[in-house]
Amino acid sequence: MKLKRVKLNKKGVTYEGFILPQSNDKTIVLKLENGYNIGLSKEGTSIEELGEIEVLPKTKETTQERGEIAILSMGGTICSRVEYKTGAVFPSTTPGELMHNLPELEKICSFHTKSLFAMLSEDMAPKHWSIAANAIKEEIDQGVDGVVILHGTDTMHYSSAALSYMLQDTPVPVVLVGAQRSPDRPSTDARLNILNAAYTAKGPIAQVGVCMHADTNDDYAYFHLGTRVRKMHTSSRDAFQSIGVNPLAKVDFRNELFEPRCNYDDRGGKLKFNNEVSENVALVYTYPGMNPKILDSLADYDGIVIAGTGLGHVATDPFKAKNVKRVLPEIQALCASGIPVVMSSQCIFGRVNLNVYTAGRMLQEAGVIGSDADWTPEAAYAKLCWVLGHEKNQKKVETEMMIPIAGDITPRSVV
Amino acid sequence: MEEPILKCGIEIHQRLDTGKLFCRCPSTLSEDEKPDLQIIRNLRASESEMGELDRAARLEQEKQLDFKYDAFRRNCCLVETDEEPPLPIDHEALLLVLGVAQQLNMRVVDQVHTMRKIVVDGSNTSGFQRTALIATNGFMETSQGKVGIDTIAVEEESAGILETEKSGLKHYRLDRLGIPLIELATSPDIVSGEHCKEVAEKIGMILRATGKAARGLGTIRQDVNISIPQGTRVEIKGVQDLKLIPKIVEIEVNRQKNLLTLLEKLKGVQPEENPQVMDLTEIFANTESGLINRGIVSGQRVMGFRLQGHKGILGTELQPGKRYGTELADYAKTAGVKGIIHSDEELSKYKISSEEFTKLRENLEVGEEDAFVFVVAEEGTARMALARVKERAALREIIGETRKVNQDGTSAYMRPLPGKARMYPETDIRAIDITQTTLIEAKQRAGEGLDAKKKKLDDLLNPEMAKRMIKSRHLKTFEKLVEMGVEPMLAAATLEDTLVALRREGVEIKNPETTLSDLFEHYLKGEFVKSAIIEILPAMAEGKGVLEILEERQLHKISGEPLKKLVLEHNKNLGEIMKNYRLRVDAKEVKELMNSL
Repeated sequence: MKLKRVKLNKKGVTYEGFILPQSNDKTIVLKLENGYNIGLSKEGTSIEELGEIEVLPKTKETTQERGEIAILSMGGTICSRVEYKTGAVFPSTTPGELMHNLPELEKICSFHTKSLFAMLSEDMAPKHWSIAANAIKEEIDQGVDGVVILHGTDTMHYSSAALSYMLQDTPVPVVLVGAQRSPDRPSTDARLNILNAAYTAKGPIAQVGVCMHADTNDDYAYFHLGTRVRKMHTSSRDAFQSIGVNPLAKVDFRNELFEPRCNYDDRGGKLKFNNEVSENVALVYTYPGMNPKILDSLADYDGIVIAGTGLGHVATDPFKAKNVKRVLPEIQALCASGIPVVMSSQCIFGRVNLNVYTAGRMLQEAGVIGSDADWTPEAAYAKLCWVLGHEKNQKKVETEMMIPIAGDITPRSVV
Repeated sequence: MEEPILKCGIEIHQRLDTGKLFCRCPSTLSEDEKPDLQIIRNLRASESEMGELDRAARLEQEKQLDFKYDAFRRNCCLVETDEEPPLPIDHEALLLVLGVAQQLNMRVVDQVHTMRKIVVDGSNTSGFQRTALIATNGFMETSQGKVGIDTIAVEEESAGILETEKSGLKHYRLDRLGIPLIELATSPDIVSGEHCKEVAEKIGMILRATGKAARGLGTIRQDVNISIPQGTRVEIKGVQDLKLIPKIVEIEVNRQKNLLTLLEKLKGVQPEENPQVMDLTEIFANTESGLINRGIVSGQRVMGFRLQGHKGILGTELQPGKRYGTELADYAKTAGVKGIIHSDEELSKYKISSEEFTKLRENLEVGEEDAFVFVVAEEGTARMALARVKERAALREIIGETRKVNQDGTSAYMRPLPGKARMYPETDIRAIDITQTTLIEAKQRAGEGLDAKKKKLDDLLNPEMAKRMIKSRHLKTFEKLVEMGVEPMLAAATLEDTLVALRREGVEIKNPETTLSDLFEHYLKGEFVKSAIIEILPAMAEGKGVLEILEERQLHKISGEPLKKLVLEHNKNLGEIMKNYRLRVDAKEVKELMNSL
């Protein structure tokens, strides 16, 4: 990036500095000598150009020899720095630049990096999961000890679930990691998260999961099971939590601590790879007063996941109360047309149970599946995208959905 | 024209009495409160948007960078703990700064951009202080002519440090973090120490005149920037007492002059390329020196190096009671040692024997004209400390420094002057357009300004008291009392004289505003007379209520029928009545009564 150095005169006052790219038709944004940025309206200014400088990001010259660990970047805050057009952050840092600020990483493992995408995770679609899965498979085929995926946090739990289905019985750890504070801040959580993720990628647990801060302190991290983890806070470091289970492990590279917290899959599994997905699945959050037309509009989908209320309910109106907008007929119609309809709960914690209330029983009769599953809505969605990638038959989809994979459905809700 | 002997500017930080700047927490403090949450964090200096790493930040980074923070539910939220992005800037604080900027004839920017000033000493959980430049190019009138006001910014206050634990872990409290500060910097137009004090006083008055300047210890801080010809800009931080400013300026001017003389002496002395740092621990195997022995016993090493051609230089006095050796020691201290020992000191004060001294000279190959320096510390710390000493001793010019003021007006090295590389845009906050409407609103909000306030006081008080009151930290309380209906002179005298008199007697009124409002509320109801005030206040300081005190001490005002009776009983003898009932009757009322009877 090149920046022009100028002397700007406005109503008798002279400002000297660099013109920054946020400037637009109306306003010039200047970086002054003292480091401050200010905006000045263009009206009545005269500009004298003094020169130009080139601002280059510092990149560590990593010889891209293959290392023990592959670090694949899919974008997100963890790769972000200021984006000049808007002044907000954007994932524009390459893995190489990022590692420049992480001298400790070399002490944990040798590594090589590869950039898959530079995007915000909310922009991702099932297609991106497929591409990532393929890239991971290639790394596994070439014999890496573990894979670290740098990922935006917003949808990291969707990706971790999807990759859990696509990379079953992975022989090495596949560790997704993100940051809640961008790496351009001294207080970034990216540093500890990446280092703990790399430590996990060298560890004994050969599963797909998410490694992030365990609490607000900068001390240790948790490695969460990919199908049971969820972002539970918009901004805090410990946003990622295991839902209804213990984290897989407590990780603290500084103290060389890797403490498994539950049963896990050892290294050396035989990879069952399948990255086909349907990109035509809906995830619908129900709510009081939901217009049945919304469900009508879903008739063209391959499959639907509902995040219902409570145990897995929608407005069925079994007792014909007044002023109820019931959505049961629409659900019945969707199921009857051959579309798999899957129930999950917006409570997030707890199990779907369609036997307790009449509403649930009516949904089951209509053909809604998911009773007794304690999956998260996001895992259910990723699973349905994946199952529909290779199976279209409604009955078979339903059967496959209910078979637990990678811990997405647990048999018991442990106290 | 003769070159001015002094270049001096001042930077003033005044805390504002609004809500916090980037969250909606109240700006309250939690002294001596038990924290609701303690957190541990780690910081790492990050590069500026121009890809540079700030020198001051880099030095901090060489240290251990884990920090502990105390948080309090009533005045800290996830913004202070760096767990939530900041909210938009506090509108009232912005208006106040815009208002003051206009009073100081400044040019307000059209668009305010919030920046992150990288500070990784732990005083900000984020590792930066948010700050926004609001206006530039202003001026104020002083007795020595115009003084330019270069910049005015609004920024967030840092967290206050509680202690540095034995392990080196710094422990901070988060209540103060985020309170708004006005940061105002003058041009280097100040011509003397006295002038500097005048400017600081006047700016203080202008800020207080807004009625929204926070009061109390540490709410206003001055940093003085000083340089002399051939010297360089040195920032002396943390000046609390304005009376000390002339002395600080004098001492710093002399320090720079003394350094220039010293540099003259060092002219022929080339800094050694790589003076060898040696482990001298063996020499002190059987030492009498408690200081050294204690270090060795706890596993520390004695390490030092030779300074060629420095004999006598280290002992040169730069500031009253502080030698060049102290200057080097201040650099060493930033690496975590307690101090240094050098050959221009009286080594017997450490109980270092002459044999040890000889061995030191031999081992370090110290020649006739040379000096030496050593430290007692854990090896890594010792090496870092000596490296800092070496770096400082190799300088052949005066360099820009940030120094901390001591109580006696001398100063000690803190860190290099931070540069522009510490600035990074605050990406979480949108730029704010400053419109004409905002500027007008700001003008109204910041109040009438100092000159109008002066005029008002001149109308209310006698000239002497008006002059005192405009400078007073009780100005806002005074205005409140007058608004309540208290006679201006009585309110002023109570605030400026009675409180001072009581303090001399050891009676401290902790919160003058609430205490005096309470007192005068009763006074205005006619419950007691003026002269009883000095009797009532000490009891109020003990926490008693006004009515309770009046009852206990029999200080109720006598007027009406009972007073008439009293006057008649004393045969209208005013002197007699006042002698016995001074604290209970109003002389004017007695006189009027006597005339009417």
